[in-house]
Amino acid sequence: MATAELGAARLGPSRAMRRVVGAVTFLLPLLCLFLLWPVVTTAFDVNPRVFPGVGMVWAALVESVRDGSLFAHIGASLGRVLVGTALGILVAVPLGIAMGVSSGISTFLTPLFRFFSVLAGIAWIPIATLWFGYGFGAITFVIFNAVFFIVTYNTLLGVSAIPMRLRHAAASLGAGRRAMLTEVLLPGALPNIVTGIRTGLGFAWRGLIAAEMIATNVGLGYMLFVARDFYRTEVIVLGMIVIGALWLLIDRLLLAPLERATIERWGLVTRS
Amino acid sequence: MNPALQAWGYYARWTARWPGVAALVPFIPVVAIWWLVASLEVFPRAFFPGPAEVVRGFVDLTYKGILPAYLEDSVGRLLLGAGFGMAIGIPLGILVGLSQTAYRATWPIILFFQAIGDIAWLPILLIWFGFGLTTMTFVIVYTVVFPVVFNTVLGVRSVPRDLPRAALSLGAPRWRVLTEVILPGALPNIVTGLRNGLGYGWRALIAAEIIVGTSGIGFLMFDARRAGSATEIVLGMIVLGLLWYAVDAWILAPIERATGQRWGLVTRT
Amino acid sequence: MKSLEIRNLQKTYFDPYAGTKVTAVQDVSLDIREGEFVSVVGPSGCGKTTILNMVAGFLPATGGEIRVGGRPVKGPGADRGVVFQSFALFPWKTVLDNVGFGPKMRGVPKAERDRIAREYLALAGLSHAADRYPNELSGGMQQRVGVVRALANDPDVLLMDEPFASVDAQTRMTLQEELTRIWQEKQHTVLFITHDVGEAVFLADRVVVLSKGRVMRDIPVTLPRPRVWDEVTEDEDFKRLSAEVLHMVRAA
Repeated sequence: MATAELGAARLGPSRAMRRVVGAVTFLLPLLCLFLLWPVVTTAFDVNPRVFPGVGMVWAALVESVRDGSLFAHIGASLGRVLVGTALGILVAVPLGIAMGVSSGISTFLTPLFRFFSVLAGIAWIPIATLWFGYGFGAITFVIFNAVFFIVTYNTLLGVSAIPMRLRHAAASLGAGRRAMLTEVLLPGALPNIVTGIRTGLGFAWRGLIAAEMIATNVGLGYMLFVARDFYRTEVIVLGMIVIGALWLLIDRLLLAPLERATIERWGLVTRS
Repeated sequence: MNPALQAWGYYARWTARWPGVAALVPFIPVVAIWWLVASLEVFPRAFFPGPAEVVRGFVDLTYKGILPAYLEDSVGRLLLGAGFGMAIGIPLGILVGLSQTAYRATWPIILFFQAIGDIAWLPILLIWFGFGLTTMTFVIVYTVVFPVVFNTVLGVRSVPRDLPRAALSLGAPRWRVLTEVILPGALPNIVTGLRNGLGYGWRALIAAEIIVGTSGIGFLMFDARRAGSATEIVLGMIVLGLLWYAVDAWILAPIERATGQRWGLVTRT
Repeated sequence: MKSLEIRNLQKTYFDPYAGTKVTAVQDVSLDIREGEFVSVVGPSGCGKTTILNMVAGFLPATGGEIRVGGRPVKGPGADRGVVFQSFALFPWKTVLDNVGFGPKMRGVPKAERDRIAREYLALAGLSHAADRYPNELSGGMQQRVGVVRALANDPDVLLMDEPFASVDAQTRMTLQEELTRIWQEKQHTVLFITHDVGEAVFLADRVVVLSKGRVMRDIPVTLPRPRVWDEVTEDEDFKRLSAEVLHMVRAA
């Protein structure tokens, strides 16, 4: 015990160092790109109507933070994603498990859900705006269904991919229906569920931006699209950077670690 | 013998012989329920058209030549985008996969641009290129490139180190190692990447057609939305789904199987 | 411990692709006394795994009867512990939680079931691996966990389906010796399925030879216990019995 702690203590700083070095080498190329930007815009005297200078984007950032509009857009977009995704997962996981338990039912239904997960997301924008009108309902519906079909399909696949011998093992150790669900089916399908959420959220995010360009008056997509009407490229570029940064945060800080903590430790999947 | 069991037996044998049957039969109850709900008028007709109306719409639009023309536009744009996407993505992926320096220099930038996402580029593309083919092709290329790059890198790295060594010791020059070992070794992953990329590209195309709006299935749907015609929207969705389903199930998936699974290389989820 | 009775067991199933019935087990009767260790050997396709699956309750029998301690078997249950050829450990649970799974299903509180699990892990020399995931263990260690997991649930009958077939030869011998040692300590009723003749004779009180879905011979093994490979390999009785069983299996 004592030696192990000692070992950890000795490794501590060097591991922290390695992390810092890793972060720096990761950020360095982005920094170079960022430094190149003003050089190119001034050297070639780029028309701000085509591409903005760094100063202009910075000014747009300061202005939109000061009048609160940036946070209003971000809040609206994230709120829609949160509601749509949460609803989608809550409905999809139980449904997917229920359908996946029987191999007959799941092979029968697989083509159906494959078809619908192909359509999921953006293709529903026209009908969603017809059904719910322009606004929160239509956009949330598009996100919901991008998540719903893909997560259901993946849960279905996940449950039907659980080896029969694991279900047998649990049954012979005395697991009832409830325990079978919480101890075997749910954790067994979890890798696929997480992958499904990651893919579904990727589609949902795109669907969100597209839907906001068409069907609302607040949100990041709307911010971009309105700026286009006035040729305000600095607002567009600012919006793009915000969208990229938000997605990187969601994907790298929320989804990827979740995937690593479960799937890779359990040795269930070898994914990219 | 139990008649239900017998029926299941027939079904199992039929679907084993013609897998297409297994892909179609599950849709029969769905269409039946759709028809039932529509004819009971649970929802207003204008919001929820029945199968018969959609079929009529299909015949009508096909006869007028609108549907085939729009379909041709959409598929053409997708193919063009996919072609450029692969032409950029595969070499880039191989370079990044092989060279640690290239990886360090470009990987963060690739991740960042992937995160921005295709559709967020639309407004600025409209300013640069206007409403036209260039804008749409750019968006699709942008979507296709990233999954192809990611999976090509993965594929290149998954080639066992002893394989290029074996080739070198058998007298292969370096560029032959690339074409004879690295590329085939990465092929299953490249196909997977293309499959994912087209899945995203397809959605990007629809969004672009809705927003850019000159022609194509996405435009058809959004135009119908403006006119409040649910029939054509539903028709557009079905055409999109069927087309993608056909491309994915009958072209991409078999290619993936023929390469990866045949060679026992697949590491798919 | 309880006895296991198998009476006129039969299994036919419907093959949807051929459209015909297939017979896997024709007519098998077999009694295992309380605390007796019985090995079932036979060539592949003789129906030995199907029998085990029916005893475990994973497959319904199409004829005959299975009784544990006089009570007929209906579906899988904790009275029959199963050790699988492919281990069947839950990848998302640590070794400790895998072994504690049976007690958990019985509603044993966390502290108590951890104590039980640790006790059984110690029995198999696995205490150090308690907090690891199955994926992080070697095949031999995984199967030790598989055996211990079944034992920790304190079953009346232990069913083992070629449990050591997928570990290397050296480890297999060690596991076999460990199993006889643990069995002598706990005196479980064991039904052990294998295609390895030496293993069948080494472990069992009786060896049952199966052929084409029927019992062909039932041979008592009277080797002294405890059994250790170094001694048993030299034993004349062991050699004679193994040769006899091998001859029958090959003729089957």
